[in-house]
Amino acid sequence: MNYTDVITGNNLNKRFGKFELDVPELHIPEGFSTALVGENGAGKTTLLNILGGIRRDNKGSVTYFDGKKIDDDGIMERIGFTGTRNYLLPHWNGKQVRELSDMLFDSFDKEKFDSICKALNIDDSIFGPKGKCISKLSDGNIMKLMLATVFARKTDLLILDEPASALDPLMRDMLSDILRTYIAEGNGKRSVLFSTHNISDMEDVTDYIIVMDNGKVLEQGFVTDIKEKYILIKGDAEKEKAASEFMISAHAGKYGFEGIALSEDTERFAGMDVSFEQPDLFQICVALLKQNSKLQMPVL
Amino acid sequence: MKLLQNSGIPIYKQISEQLKEEILSGKFKEGEYLPSIRGLAQELRTSVITTIKAYEELESEGLVTAVQGKGFYVNAQDSELLREQHIRKVEEDLTQAIKASKVAGMTEEELIETLKVLIKLSEQE
Repeated sequence: MNYTDVITGNNLNKRFGKFELDVPELHIPEGFSTALVGENGAGKTTLLNILGGIRRDNKGSVTYFDGKKIDDDGIMERIGFTGTRNYLLPHWNGKQVRELSDMLFDSFDKEKFDSICKALNIDDSIFGPKGKCISKLSDGNIMKLMLATVFARKTDLLILDEPASALDPLMRDMLSDILRTYIAEGNGKRSVLFSTHNISDMEDVTDYIIVMDNGKVLEQGFVTDIKEKYILIKGDAEKEKAASEFMISAHAGKYGFEGIALSEDTERFAGMDVSFEQPDLFQICVALLKQNSKLQMPVL
Repeated sequence: MKLLQNSGIPIYKQISEQLKEEILSGKFKEGEYLPSIRGLAQELRTSVITTIKAYEELESEGLVTAVQGKGFYVNAQDSELLREQHIRKVEEDLTQAIKASKVAGMTEEELIETLKVLIKLSEQE
């Protein structure tokens, strides 16, 4: 597939104690929605903070929109960023968020912000005469508020850290619609990069996927290619040992096993009487992450 | 357009098949542009890459042509090509029927006999 990068990263590196984020090369495609997936502590937030220009103490270089740097004229203006809960300072109230956004970004449209807050049904006590501080808001309402500040601006790139996890099912569904509309209206020039724990919820708005583990990129590519690269295999329990040799990860039960393998290895399963299916993104991500995960089923 | 989540048929395939029917039935005219890939993704609530893959499928079958920066337009559907498309569909469906007949333990003669009976029945309608 031909595409140009909206973000290009080179030799990105950041250490904290034992943890090391190490991404030699990163390409985020323009005009698409990219999902960043990984276990807790995989380095997703660190990477997004670097790409969003929030964190500057890393090694390596990042360019945007065909070779521009984050501090080049007007680049920050074109990028919308939402972070974790404490991205907005907890003692601010709604009116202060509105005023500060207006001060920071030329294209921030106060009326549009008000109408988005209303449409998303954000708890309006933070805008009242006393202006309740936003630390009193639920995680879902804070996320909606951050989204409102971003969508009240004119941007070409959104970097969203876990936008869906705090949202209820209705709002999650709407977020997918909002992101698709944002991309559709950009006519190939608007892009989204978001991280998520729950890829199933976001699969219908994911074009490109990056799977991270322990600071490194395990897999990346367009969803259609990734889905063809892997195959879901199911078989009888007695064949599990022979089959698991060729599988990336397998889960065996009393009656059978199930797991993921590379499609190019399909022939190796000849004679094992297994069935093949196309896996969904969630199954692929789980299989990839299981390879190195320290997670174990506890004894209950 | 109807898209089924758990049909086992990939979503892009469902989109390309339904668009193909619309093109072959003449709903989309020669030279007409298909909806934009991102616009269609928004309407169908799928990812953009899914609609791209569907359009690429139509392109590889010679039904549409991609124009850089403009989108996909419908090719002239010459009758020979159309006929071939239909024949391919017949072959696919017959292959399905053959597979099913094997599962049912039917002999070749029984299968051919069934086909003849069905042809007669459809002629009567």
